[in-house]
Amino acid sequence: MKIIIIGAGEVGFHIAQRLSEESQDVVLIDRDPQQIKRVAENMDVHVFLGSGTSPRILKDAGINNADMLVAATDIDEINLIACLMAKTFNPYLLKVARVKNEEYLQEGELFGKDLLGIDHVINPQSEMVNAIQNIMEIPSASEVIDFVGGRVKLIGFSVTKDSPFVDRKLLSFNELKGQILVGAIVRGDQVLIPEGEDVILAGDLVYVVARNTELDKTLGFLDIRLETSGRVIIVGGGQTGAALAKRMDRAKISVKIIEKESDRCAGLSEMLQHVIVINGDGTDKGLLEEENVGDVDFLVAATGDEASNILMSLLAKGLGAKKTVTRVSKLSYIPLMSAIGIDTVVSPRLSAVRAILQHIRPGKIISVVPLKGEQAEAIEAEALETSDIVDMPLSKVKMPKGAIVGAIVRGDEIIIPRGDSVIRPKDHLIIFALQTVIPKLEKLLTVKLEYF
Amino acid sequence: MHIRIITRFIAILILFLGLSMAGPLLVSFLFKDRSIHALLFSLIITSLTGLIVLICTRNPESRQLNHRDGVAIVTLGWVMAGLFGTLPYLFSGTIPDFTNAYFESISGFTTTGASILTDIESLPEGILLWRSLTQWLGGMGIIVLSIAILPFLGIGGMQLYKAEVPSPVVDKLKPRISETAKTLWKVYFSITVVQVILLFTGGMPIFDAVCHAFCTMPTGGFSIKTMSISHYNSVYFDCVFIVFMLLAGINFSLHYKLIKGDLRIFGKDAECRVFLILVAVFVVLITVNIYGSIYNSIAQALRHAAFQVSSIITTTGFVSADYETWPALSQLILLICMFLGAMAGSTGGGMKTMRVMLLIRHGYQQVFKIIHPHAVTTLKLGGRPVPEEILSSIWGFFILYLGIFVAASLIMAALGLDLISSFASVAASMGNIGPGLGVVGPVKNYLGIPLLGKWVLILCMLLGRLEIYTVIALLAPAYWRK
Repeated sequence: MKIIIIGAGEVGFHIAQRLSEESQDVVLIDRDPQQIKRVAENMDVHVFLGSGTSPRILKDAGINNADMLVAATDIDEINLIACLMAKTFNPYLLKVARVKNEEYLQEGELFGKDLLGIDHVINPQSEMVNAIQNIMEIPSASEVIDFVGGRVKLIGFSVTKDSPFVDRKLLSFNELKGQILVGAIVRGDQVLIPEGEDVILAGDLVYVVARNTELDKTLGFLDIRLETSGRVIIVGGGQTGAALAKRMDRAKISVKIIEKESDRCAGLSEMLQHVIVINGDGTDKGLLEEENVGDVDFLVAATGDEASNILMSLLAKGLGAKKTVTRVSKLSYIPLMSAIGIDTVVSPRLSAVRAILQHIRPGKIISVVPLKGEQAEAIEAEALETSDIVDMPLSKVKMPKGAIVGAIVRGDEIIIPRGDSVIRPKDHLIIFALQTVIPKLEKLLTVKLEYF
Repeated sequence: MHIRIITRFIAILILFLGLSMAGPLLVSFLFKDRSIHALLFSLIITSLTGLIVLICTRNPESRQLNHRDGVAIVTLGWVMAGLFGTLPYLFSGTIPDFTNAYFESISGFTTTGASILTDIESLPEGILLWRSLTQWLGGMGIIVLSIAILPFLGIGGMQLYKAEVPSPVVDKLKPRISETAKTLWKVYFSITVVQVILLFTGGMPIFDAVCHAFCTMPTGGFSIKTMSISHYNSVYFDCVFIVFMLLAGINFSLHYKLIKGDLRIFGKDAECRVFLILVAVFVVLITVNIYGSIYNSIAQALRHAAFQVSSIITTTGFVSADYETWPALSQLILLICMFLGAMAGSTGGGMKTMRVMLLIRHGYQQVFKIIHPHAVTTLKLGGRPVPEEILSSIWGFFILYLGIFVAASLIMAALGLDLISSFASVAASMGNIGPGLGVVGPVKNYLGIPLLGKWVLILCMLLGRLEIYTVIALLAPAYWRK
């Protein structure tokens, strides 16, 4: 597949890297010679120096025979114009655009077939707000990801010393068979796709799949509390903070929002009904104490300044906040966070990368979620009639080593698979896989080799 | 530096090289010549060495190559290829002396075409084909070939590609490097086939046609005749060679674009235009110069002038006439051609037209700035600005090229060569041309060069083929510091 990416910023860079590692033909366009040089030296993609909205550059980059365009610059207008240009040269092109301006997003017709013809609009802001909300629903999980419209949940949680999971072989969890399934274990910087013989250790980050309807029961087994957060403090009343506060306002959760600029505070208090708006600096220890940060369930550090966010999360933890969510933009900082004691990180760029990657996979793969460190992925895919995995017990399917089926969704039914479960055509599958086996998996999912 | 992965890659290279000996072996078998055993042993030893080292270096420490690894793989890869390339010569007894065999082998891989052989016709066919094959493999690059065949190299492939491809700017034809390499080899292969057909239909024996085509497209210049192309004394063959030597001297991306349907690409490309104009001007000058004094007919003068200019400027080194008997002006023009070389991205050697063009323009820009001190100027090539970085790399290349030329010439003179021969042997080796002037003139050979001189020239050939930086970087003390 030939994919043209516009913008070699963090989002474009990461998408290009992922795709080129998967041996797709990637063409990257950027205006900054430094960025272009960095990309050319670091990955096997074709680079073009120039504007993504220039017809000449787009033609040079081969827009006419490309399969997909990803407009991933930081500037909405460039992304939109690039899609428009691309549409005039190649009407059949699949287009994904990153757009953050709410006003544009409200005008659905703008992206429709008659005008820009953008197939997928990615809004990192709202993706990130969704992620924060998900985490708030299950506070002791470090990550919660929705599949099949939220009917299946993927929950990532750290295993503590006194958890019932510790030092047990997966095989021994017979009573949980068919209810939950361990899909991936993150140990240090390694990701394991587990087999029955594997043992869970204290300190592991474990990803499990569970049905949304049985969440209470399942989480009870795992010793994870499920409760909607009582008290929340949001620091930063920018776009993220405001959007989050608005949603919580509707859900009538008790929220305080701290914002530095008084003008902005006035705007926030006009917009919000129940939320308490506080004018002040979130890195001010006195202010945090005054607002009882020690009693809150959640502190969301969502200002535009990542360094302040990190500091105030640490400060709040020190003062007794149960959990913090920290907004960090630079992707390279994310792996450092757990080392300094910050438990949950959200990033608009990571959200954008995830959201865009979901739309780029070939075949019948519906969505893809990279797990910690991007070494492994959770994939939602549809089982095709022609593929080699249908109509036989799972234990007979030749899954590549390092891949495991986590859930089978058939109509209204959700099956947490066992060795004797059978996949039928049109089932939706949730599969965990190491990144290295993804090409094999893709092959397995699409078509079986036909022998004539 | 990742020693394991470097060794592993070179092992793959050696394995390929060993397998490629199957071609000459087959020919040797068909002709029932006396080199069957030599080629068979060479094949087995080379492939087995590659295979064993390959097995020993499983699980390399990293799959990612960095710049340093790229430099080491390319330089050492070439040195090793040259080493194993000597086996057929040594085993068959055609070149019993190791230095001579290594000289012939490196001269082959670097597409220089300088030979130490005095009576080429007496060699068995298998060895003759091997000699031509080394040039064909070296022309587009043994590393580029491996990149084309091994798809897993990815980003590491780019480092290798940059280190081997003879051009100051690397032009990617396809999004992925392995595809780019594959495309280049396809173009290279196709043009070679066309040339074989044209030579064969013109009456050249098929074996001669294949061997000569193998030495034309890489701008190599090994001939299977002692008298080179003048052996055939045919206007038709000369014309075919002129056309294909010039094609080989043109950037292969342009050939690709031409095949893709852009018929006016040669005229559109700024470097190609200058290259072709240069060739035309030199041909006219030499024709005028030798008409009357050497040749009585204008057609003869034009034929040999065109052949010799194409042969030298593209750094091929085929010979249609003994240009040493030509007047000084003609000889000097040919000497200048040795330095100019062909286009960047071609299989030719020398300084490359693009570098010379940019240097001259940069020089003029300085003059312009004296006249208009406040002028803001951008150096452009084909309408696109040339980054300052590339310009300084070209200046560096120029200085190093001249410096190495001077140093090597001094050594040659110290070894007792005369003035012209000292200069010409080094120029012909660094430019990967082959025949020079004086004792290494077009109808002579390199056998008489002293032992040390041969090793100096071997180094010059490698420096020239890998465009200096790659080899020098490996020799620099900074490379080895942790």
